[in-house]
Amino acid sequence: MVSIDHYLVLATFMFLCGTLGVLFRRNLLMVLMSIELMLNAVNLVFVSGSRLLGNLDGQVMVFFIITVAACEAGVGLAMVIALFRRYGTVDTNFLRVLRG
Amino acid sequence: MTQELVFLAFASLIAICSMMVILSRNAVVSAIFLVGDLFCLAGLYASMEAHFVAAIQVLVYAGAIVVLFMFVIMLLNLGPDQRKHLEVSAPEIGVLGLTIVGFLVIGGLLLLGQPTGVTGPLTAEAIDNAGGNTYTVGMVLFTKYLWPFELASMLILLAIIAAIVIAKKEHIKDGDKRRLAHG
Repeated sequence: MVSIDHYLVLATFMFLCGTLGVLFRRNLLMVLMSIELMLNAVNLVFVSGSRLLGNLDGQVMVFFIITVAACEAGVGLAMVIALFRRYGTVDTNFLRVLRG
Repeated sequence: MTQELVFLAFASLIAICSMMVILSRNAVVSAIFLVGDLFCLAGLYASMEAHFVAAIQVLVYAGAIVVLFMFVIMLLNLGPDQRKHLEVSAPEIGVLGLTIVGFLVIGGLLLLGQPTGVTGPLTAEAIDNAGGNTYTVGMVLFTKYLWPFELASMLILLAIIAAIVIAKKEHIKDGDKRRLAHG
């Protein structure tokens, strides 16, 4: 029997992969993809919790998370394009200072 | 027995794909592995009888979001990452440490509290009797979560406007235009 612990361990692994990607990759696109990875780990926890508790609220939450993830990807990629147009790079080492 | 096999297959694929997403030097390869990751997650959702979530996962995540990533990767036309070794700074190590500590705390709390095995009213059989997963999720979404659903539509509208405004071509100032005209 696959218990919720298995899903939790898998989700933790995915989330840590995403954290490592956000922290140590220097390409802004890779950072955004790692964020998607972290969001998916959370989705997995929600769905497995929904099954454990016999309650569909978790699955509804997944829809809202997917909505937020789609918005985040759209706006984030627009920002990546704007940054690339202005500075010619998407390397976070060169994009460390916030200025208008 | 089949469920264990399905879980093992998808879980190992997810682990491999997640690592490849953050390890590969080329952004296109990362995006391809992200698609694999999302498909395997959809398979896990289907094995947990969350069929509608599985379908949406494939349609929206693998079908729309990753395609958007692919378009931007092709638009920017970046080469592979040339760095030979990892650069780390103290704040990043601190954040990573805090994340791991947080996970350990959560895991400890989960181990302390005995899993009660509480089952709510909507077990797999009850959902089947009520008309299937899609029907019941729809009922919950459009009754209990109606206002959050409407707010989500507002969020999407705002995101559309924001993406258009941010990605729009920068306005060329008059001085620059004159300089461009003079060559």
